[in-house]
Amino acid sequence: METNRRSVVLGGAGVLGAAALGFPKPAIAQSEPLRVGWLAAMTGPSSAPAVGFNRGVVVAAELLNAAGGVKGRKVEIITRDTQGDPTKAVNATQEMISQAKVHAIWGPTNSGESLAVTPIMARQKIPNIHPCVVNSLIDTKKYPNAFRISPSNVQWDDAVRSYCLKQVGAKKVAVIGDTTGYGVSAAKDSSAGFKKDGAQVVYEANIDATQPDMTPDLLRARQAGAEAIVVWSVSTGMDARLFNTRARMGWDVPFVGHPSMASGEIAGLLEKPANWEKVYAIGYRSCSYDDAGRLPPRSDAFVKQLKGKVELNDTLLWWVAAGFDAINLIAKAVAETGSSSREDIIKYWNTVSKYPGVYGEYTYTPENHDGYPPGDVVMSAANSGKDGTFKLAPGYS
Amino acid sequence: MLYSILTSGLAVGAVYALIGVTYNTMFSTSRVMSFTAGQLGMLGGVLGSLFTLRLGIPWPLGLLLTLACCALIGIVTEFVAVRPVLKSLDQHLYVLSTLAVALMIQQFTAIMWSTEPQPFPRLLGGIGQDLLDEKFWLPVVTCAAVIVGLELLYRRTILGHAFLAVAEDNFAARALGLPERQLRVMAYALAGAIGALAGYSGGQLLLAFFANGPHLNFYGFIPVALGGLGNNRGAVVGGLALGLFQQTANFVVGGIFASVAVFTIFIVVLLIAPQGLLGSATARRV
Repeated sequence: METNRRSVVLGGAGVLGAAALGFPKPAIAQSEPLRVGWLAAMTGPSSAPAVGFNRGVVVAAELLNAAGGVKGRKVEIITRDTQGDPTKAVNATQEMISQAKVHAIWGPTNSGESLAVTPIMARQKIPNIHPCVVNSLIDTKKYPNAFRISPSNVQWDDAVRSYCLKQVGAKKVAVIGDTTGYGVSAAKDSSAGFKKDGAQVVYEANIDATQPDMTPDLLRARQAGAEAIVVWSVSTGMDARLFNTRARMGWDVPFVGHPSMASGEIAGLLEKPANWEKVYAIGYRSCSYDDAGRLPPRSDAFVKQLKGKVELNDTLLWWVAAGFDAINLIAKAVAETGSSSREDIIKYWNTVSKYPGVYGEYTYTPENHDGYPPGDVVMSAANSGKDGTFKLAPGYS
Repeated sequence: MLYSILTSGLAVGAVYALIGVTYNTMFSTSRVMSFTAGQLGMLGGVLGSLFTLRLGIPWPLGLLLTLACCALIGIVTEFVAVRPVLKSLDQHLYVLSTLAVALMIQQFTAIMWSTEPQPFPRLLGGIGQDLLDEKFWLPVVTCAAVIVGLELLYRRTILGHAFLAVAEDNFAARALGLPERQLRVMAYALAGAIGALAGYSGGQLLLAFFANGPHLNFYGFIPVALGGLGNNRGAVVGGLALGLFQQTANFVVGGIFASVAVFTIFIVVLLIAPQGLLGSATARRV
């Protein structure tokens, strides 16, 4: 047969056409490890959550691999320490996608980093699941690849407002935030929510977290007739000063608000342990125990499973449980679809309904990527911390 | 309300005043505004808590160790951030060098200590309540003791006279044979100890918290500006006035607006009296 330029061009076009129509995928894609990128602020000032999440991640990967992997594929966790720095998170994300060729990414664990990397992941259409609360991080139009495993700020806000109005029975509330960007915006949103629901916000303030004396603000709140004080701050120093001042004033108004009010750091800053009474911080039903000290059955089984393997006395159970669930959600997508392609994982997550995780039962749809059940955000008694779990605040059954 | 303004305002004001005195002590022998003053105050609280609460050392010994450590940091600051830039004082490079040291101190503390506020020990075991609570009177008494001590040092001792001579005119002092460098190092050690006393005496109010440094840097600078640079009595008056005004503003306007009120008054005062309320315009022969 004569070989000329025309036959070479035709032959080449045929090969390319066949490739475009699709050959069967090579077997290597089905047997290669399932690579999960894990953007973790393992060191630095905000490392406590990531250290907790990581314990759940490691256990989940070990259990999956011990059971033969996901459809025979080993789960490989590719961890990058972002140190809580958005620039490092951006670099790590790009490296994970282009060099390490991960199939999905879990994290980052704080909203500042997540705001920086979410658009990058969206451009690459990489399946991403994260626990960051800032509302704008979930937008199914802009970021169809991003899913939230934890509640959003709105869900936190709803839970606090509902507890104040229904359980405490407060009609007049004081809303206090710190002077950080988070404190200002959270207090503003919270006040707007209370007003919308017909409650009276009798005092609203943003306090510098280093202000040594909280008497002026609490006196003003008391004079205004506040029946509950809602606190939006991550500063444990500010929280403790508020509790101490309330006790010195001989006032028994309840504090309701941010989870930092239940931080173990507060215990050492209190003038008396009793100053921590009547303080209710945001918690989760799955990680809260009842009056008899019992956790929900699924959480109880999980804690028993972790015994001897994972320390819980210096972390929070929800961090460990969420890390565990995130890896399992990625594995489940691959197991159910038999594929680790980006599109298939996202497509599967969009159909997840009441996935029975340890931290919560997640439901995602193409229009809603806030999968945490709103009813599972509850209030905990802030001074009841025990092995990363808290007692349900009064009023819950 | 008046009671709270007086107790809390005077206590915090005394801490600000002591930080102002720390600024002045470093300035007098070097003509440098060292921005490590606030960090020395922060370290006073952190080291006090470290020695007494974490390591279980009795507080008098813990206090001495805290003073010694901060004096050492003062000396290191002089060597690292002040001495190399003295030749080009007019370029104000000390702003950068002392801020760099301040930042290093803060970051190191955040990594080695904690990023969360930690408790500071009760020193006298709960003697007194309310106005008599030690956390309110301790900074005021410490401030008074430091001022009396400095007055005695400057007026009654040869060393104090030498400090004053260097502060007045360091070229003339050197010409008279005074060891200007050694005196400067000693002044920085003294400033370190005074800064530590500020943080230690106010530890129960401010807690042992790494982020107190910038806060004290800002609010400790105001008494210096109000009272006149280098004027310790002015710093004390300015500091106490600042504390009282700040606490009053917290009651009257509250929250973020209290800080705005403080800085508004500060700017207004400087517009009316640029040399500070107790400072005097210096004449220079040309």
